[in-house]
Amino acid sequence: MAASKCTQLTAALSRQLLDSVDCVLFDCDGVIWRGDQAISGAPEVISSLKKNGKRVFFVTNNSTKTRQMYADKLGKLGFDATADEVFGTAYCSAVYLKNVCKLDGKVYLIGSNAMRQELEDVGIRPVGVGPDPVSGVQKDWANVPLDKQVQAVLVGFDEHFSYMKLNRALQYLCNPDCQFVGTNTDTRLPLEGGKAVPGTGCLLRAVETAAQRQAQVVGKPSNFMFECVASQFGLDPERCLMVGDRLDTDIMLGSNCGLKTLLTLTGVSTVAEAQANQKSQCPHQQKMVPDYYINSIADILPALQT
Amino acid sequence: MAGGGGGCVTLRGAQIRDLLDAKHNVLFDCDGVVWNGETAVTGAPEVVSLLKQRGKRVFFVTNNCTRPRENYVQKFSRLGFADVAEEEIFSSAYCSAAYLRDVARLQGKVYVIGCGGVMKELRDAGVPVAEEGDAEPGASIYTCPLDPDVKAVLVGYDENFTFMKLAKACCYLQSSECLFLATDPDPWHPLRGGRVTPGSGSLTAALETASSRKATVIGKPSRFMFDCISSQFGLDPARSLMIGDRLETDVLFGSNCGLATVLTLTGVSTLQEALAFRDSQEPQQKHCAPDYVVESVADILQALEE
Repeated sequence: MAASKCTQLTAALSRQLLDSVDCVLFDCDGVIWRGDQAISGAPEVISSLKKNGKRVFFVTNNSTKTRQMYADKLGKLGFDATADEVFGTAYCSAVYLKNVCKLDGKVYLIGSNAMRQELEDVGIRPVGVGPDPVSGVQKDWANVPLDKQVQAVLVGFDEHFSYMKLNRALQYLCNPDCQFVGTNTDTRLPLEGGKAVPGTGCLLRAVETAAQRQAQVVGKPSNFMFECVASQFGLDPERCLMVGDRLDTDIMLGSNCGLKTLLTLTGVSTVAEAQANQKSQCPHQQKMVPDYYINSIADILPALQT
Repeated sequence: MAGGGGGCVTLRGAQIRDLLDAKHNVLFDCDGVVWNGETAVTGAPEVVSLLKQRGKRVFFVTNNCTRPRENYVQKFSRLGFADVAEEEIFSSAYCSAAYLRDVARLQGKVYVIGCGGVMKELRDAGVPVAEEGDAEPGASIYTCPLDPDVKAVLVGYDENFTFMKLAKACCYLQSSECLFLATDPDPWHPLRGGRVTPGSGSLTAALETASSRKATVIGKPSRFMFDCISSQFGLDPARSLMIGDRLETDVLFGSNCGLATVLTLTGVSTLQEALAFRDSQEPQQKHCAPDYVVESVADILQALEE
């Protein structure tokens, strides 16, 4: 691990860093693409890394796409990537429910069709996806029919989120044996164009507040996202580099899992924020200081091509 | 003794009489205190009548924002309470409208996430409400129009809550000049048979998370509802008593306003919970401990009739 932190990644340091790792994990939004546009030079970086014998993975908190849908998007934007290199929270939540929660039953799902797909692919049956407008009167709502086979509530991004869905989740969660999982706590969707769209974190807070319970969260900065990749591909944390644009998710994950960390400035967090964390006495903030920072990941291309 | 961390003394007979002799104003919460659902708490109508006969002023202070005041008048009548006047009823819907009109002196419209009760109170107070507009199929947060006259967002219980409403409210709250109000903080509301339904607090939590802003909460335990009553009727806190069933709302409210507090056990909170607050080391928790405890408001009846 770098003795000094928050260092600008020069060309020389790039070569040194790349030689010290076998595997690079990339966040997506704000790192390799923004919305539907690849960050200039990013596809070439991925290809070059692979040519240099590095393994590459994509780790994203976004729960709206399956691994295959991500692979399709990556392909469309010119990236050389396959579905099994992608770890989004739709897939990882399904794995978490199966392997960690050891779910043996159905899940009440507030989420997308992509999440439904990933759950079905691991053999878990979700109920509740799609629009669910309110009907009846208030005294009916506590008596909505509950599926006795539901053993967990999973909350991810859902454009059909409604009072009724919140109510159903609450009814299931009144049973303390019903497990409670959330895909991620990001408060906004990452987007171009200035309109702030609420993220999964808002929906999860609504359910947590109503139920007065805390969800187990799968997405970054939870270690599970790294463990999911590591357990499938046998990774050595010390030989891994996490590249991200958010100090509170990507860099925190890297710190917690013992990875090397690189902050790219094409997304959310700034160097000033990183330096402020570095100066602080707070252990929590200290985990949000990257080893290195770079203006854009395209800047490591020269180091890869020599 | 009034306000700020009570001793949870169980009151009987003469003790209740002595307490009432010192108080001119009695404030009752409604749900779980004078009624449960559509059933009056046995003895409650008689208690209210008797207190008034003895020259006390009686007020009803409820966080329930689902009905306009005139509906509460009808409910009181339906449940056997004689002559409860509209002026004696203070709901969070009524007080939110009063706040916008009298305290904020709103110049512009309010965007409301709420139900019929809130809408009616706003209209009655002459506070302009932004029209929701018909939801066109395919309308998205990127295309839906925002009203430039909106200068406040009010969030409360809304059975028609949708993701779109959350997103629109979040857009309005991007402007620091836009006020952010919540009717009440209750995370859930009790229904009959020990069941619950999501409350205003859960919807407010979603919006606070999306906007990274904290709402100004009108309802208990915030002081505002007491200030609202006092501005109309001139209440001396030292001569006022608050009777409620929820420690974190009713008792804390009483404590915040310098009132003597009585917990009645016909609703949400238990004696055990009250004692736990009393014995807690944390100041905020201590303020949730009532001065006095009664089994039911009917106990007051026995005291007055002896």
